[in-house]
Amino acid sequence: MPLSMLRPGETGWIKEIVGGRKAKGKLNDLGFVSGKQVKIYRSSGGPLIVGIGDNRIALGKGMAHKVIVDTEGCEN
Amino acid sequence: MALNKTSRKETEVKIALAGNPNSGKTTLFNELTGSRQHVGNWPGVTVEKKTGHAFYKEYALEVIDLPGTYSLGAYSEDEVVARDFLTAGQYDLVLDIINSANLERNLYFTIQLLEMGVDLVAVLNMADEAEKKGIKINKHKLSQMLGAPVVETVASKGRGIENLLAETIKNRDLTEPALEINYGAEIEDLITEIAKLFMEYDFTNQVNHRWAAVKLIEHDPEAVKLLEREVGSSKAKKIKSLIAERELKAKDDFDNIIIDKKYELINKIITESVKAPAAGQEPENMSDKIDAVVTNKYLGIPIFLVVMWAIFKFTFTLGDPLIGYIETLFEVIGGWAGGLLTGLGASPLVASFITDGIIGGVGSVLVFIPNIFLLFLAIGILEDSGYMSRAAYIMDKVMSKLGLHGKSFIPMVIGFGCNVPGIMATRTLENKRDRIISILINPLMSCSARLPVYVVFAGALFPNHGSTVVFSLYLLGIIMAVVMSGVFNKLLFKGERSHFVMELPPYRFPTAKGVFIHMWEKTGAFLKKAGTIIFSVVVLIWVLANLPLGVEYASANSFIGHFGRFVAPIFKPLGFGSWQAASSLVFGILAKEVVVGTLGVVYAAGETGLRTVLATQFTPLAAYSFMAMVLLYTPCIASLGAIKSETQSWKWTLVTAGYLFVLAWVVAFIIYQGGMLLGLGA
Repeated sequence: MPLSMLRPGETGWIKEIVGGRKAKGKLNDLGFVSGKQVKIYRSSGGPLIVGIGDNRIALGKGMAHKVIVDTEGCEN
Repeated sequence: MALNKTSRKETEVKIALAGNPNSGKTTLFNELTGSRQHVGNWPGVTVEKKTGHAFYKEYALEVIDLPGTYSLGAYSEDEVVARDFLTAGQYDLVLDIINSANLERNLYFTIQLLEMGVDLVAVLNMADEAEKKGIKINKHKLSQMLGAPVVETVASKGRGIENLLAETIKNRDLTEPALEINYGAEIEDLITEIAKLFMEYDFTNQVNHRWAAVKLIEHDPEAVKLLEREVGSSKAKKIKSLIAERELKAKDDFDNIIIDKKYELINKIITESVKAPAAGQEPENMSDKIDAVVTNKYLGIPIFLVVMWAIFKFTFTLGDPLIGYIETLFEVIGGWAGGLLTGLGASPLVASFITDGIIGGVGSVLVFIPNIFLLFLAIGILEDSGYMSRAAYIMDKVMSKLGLHGKSFIPMVIGFGCNVPGIMATRTLENKRDRIISILINPLMSCSARLPVYVVFAGALFPNHGSTVVFSLYLLGIIMAVVMSGVFNKLLFKGERSHFVMELPPYRFPTAKGVFIHMWEKTGAFLKKAGTIIFSVVVLIWVLANLPLGVEYASANSFIGHFGRFVAPIFKPLGFGSWQAASSLVFGILAKEVVVGTLGVVYAAGETGLRTVLATQFTPLAAYSFMAMVLLYTPCIASLGAIKSETQSWKWTLVTAGYLFVLAWVVAFIIYQGGMLLGLGA
């Protein structure tokens, strides 16, 4: 499911990044790669705040749709 | 990639600092070169490359600080600056600055540099933060795996700098082979074939050929351009179709494989050279706790407004008594100089030049040093703390209604200091449309040069509500910016929505050093401006106020009076149709502080203080209308210059100059005429 559907406090594992070269490249740069664990810190109203390890990334809804996650543990 | 030494002395070394945003590049640059470049805690503080010099033993180092970048993908203008510099290879050595506490993502960039064949020293900066988190890095092992020397530093405390310099000199002629990552049979075969075609087509560019092939497989637009330039478009097409053909046959996306393999390597490096406490999600830290409040759905915007209000309250409450002292000082000097000069038998002209021209003009502007100082102190704290990117986050919702996103808000906040860096800060926006709109609205953000105008008028006509009046003007600027970006979005551009991605760096306690650097730099710039452009314009106006020969000083019949009277009718419906006000606005386009300087000269305020004069010349309503005009009308020449150089277009420069004048006129008209209707004209 897309990352945008997770609720605050929930974690997921990135399965894949969909979308154009630019969006994908930008997400990859910031550490959004398959197999990574992400946690949602905020999702109400504006953009999401997503935690990858120690990093906190603000992610617009459009971008969050491009990140496909699994909520079950999945070791890639 | 060492530079050709023949043309230079053996002791000259050129190094570049590269790395992720917030890895401490600029702090390290300042430590190395003794410069005072502005450091901040948000991605995009440095948007252009800066050069400094360092000396170590007999060596002279030229140090270049590049904008922070997450990769060589170069999605925004500031990243392009860094990428272009790195690929051009005009340096001896790169210092790749790595945030030790955030190794994985930082190494992603390191790996890309090494793959390109860049000779680098990996600088594990912020080593203290890594230590605090219990991260232990085996430097020897890491160095071995990267094939590059590794040095540890804590730039913020000046630790490890000597050692870094020594290592830099030691490795200045480093020539390591480029890093080769095994991308698996499918891609490796393709790379080999492309390399063969490179030979066949006589592709001789100095870039690493394997790297160029990988970039082509990734469909990197710059690599494609390079290929077309080198071998012509028909041969380039053959290579591109070979890649497309293989991609169709493959079961997985090549892009994905390449990225996965890079991260695989990084993970291997980390597993073998780093000992860290059990990975996974960290417990909620301090930054998260602060964010839970300041980014709250309901509290976010009110908190932002309170922060802004606090900044202005701080600037005014502390600044006001100081202004009073300085004003009195100038008045005393003015009166004393006038008396002395007359006593010495100086001609009245000389006495007038000193008291009316210099003290009345430049003095009226210099009075505001305390405000400028305090404003930049506050902005410095704001930038250093990490709140800046939170403000962008909070405003995303508002901005996205206008077709922009939150990141466009950062240049606006920078604009409160000065619009020139504000306009330059738009380089961090990936999307051209976002960038143009952000540039067009940036002058609406009330910069520090407008502050003296507000303070003098608010002091003269709103003595009890000064800070509220000024705060309302800042808000008016923001509201107009929001309205105009909505208008431009509708009028000028359709579709092409961009997406919001931005790192929220951990909060940091602002360092005194960082904040003071910012404050000194800006106050210094203000003084320099007062000594150069403001001084020159003031002298010019004083001359115009004395011509034609024999005219009564600064009377309606002087040149400046004639000029002002010619322009004044435009401003009459706005409540300030005097020739003095009109000429101050015209000359104010040279620099906004000049509005105050001009008024000081034409009202001969040297001995009485400008506030006293203004209180008799303006009604509060006219004064408010005038302040709104100064806020919104045509930006200063420096801003227009920045717009021209950032947009590379006269069209956008003229559009900005023109639309802002019309907007200012209309708003001031509504304020004044509306106020009159409501009976506020007294």
